[in-house]
Amino acid sequence: MASPSITPSQVCGKLVDVSTGEELLEDRRRRRRAGDPRLTERDREILGRVVDGDLADEFQAALDAVSAADPLLGGTGDLDDVD
Amino acid sequence: MIMVDEYLAVRVLRGHWPDGLPDDELALTASRHWRLLQALHGGRGGQLSQVLGQLSPAGQDGVRHPHPEVLQVLDPRPLLDDAAIVAARFGGTGLLVAEALVAGLAYGRQLWFGTATNVGRLLAQAANELGIEVHVVGA
Repeated sequence: MASPSITPSQVCGKLVDVSTGEELLEDRRRRRRAGDPRLTERDREILGRVVDGDLADEFQAALDAVSAADPLLGGTGDLDDVD
Repeated sequence: MIMVDEYLAVRVLRGHWPDGLPDDELALTASRHWRLLQALHGGRGGQLSQVLGQLSPAGQDGVRHPHPEVLQVLDPRPLLDDAAIVAARFGGTGLLVAEALVAGLAYGRQLWFGTATNVGRLLAQAANELGIEVHVVGA
């Protein structure tokens, strides 16, 4: 009984598939870490000020204000009420 | 996929991947995206509004509609029932916290924040009771 044969082209095909898959994943990883390509350098500077610069406190206050103004979002709970 | 807060979302959008943040796909809950959008559009009149108003149209679009390869916004509908259960269990928890907890349970039992001030005591306590790890990474 003949054993299943694998031709060189089949082997190469599988290797190419694996390699391509890894490259696609790596490309996707690079794009994820590079940030949104639509943002300009100026946009990136502005957003940096908002989350890590001189506007960070005001940004946190703005987020907290949204929650505080909307009980559906922010809730009405207090830790003392938690069983 | 891991869940992040508004700070980490913005850092990643601008191409700054914080040290310690796992190399994985990232997602923001809809309610946290809502808070971010309110900050963008809110017009509270302070310096924050003025500066955010200087974003280019494309930059604003990056915050309004994040590129899915960079940051995904979770559809809240599949999470709502479990979020209501969590809210009832922890008494008066709003959607912001309940949705984050349920998303954390669904995606690896972990939540990632860009600053400790954005965690909140109720979320921290509930996450501890539910077995969800809360991580804080700086810039």
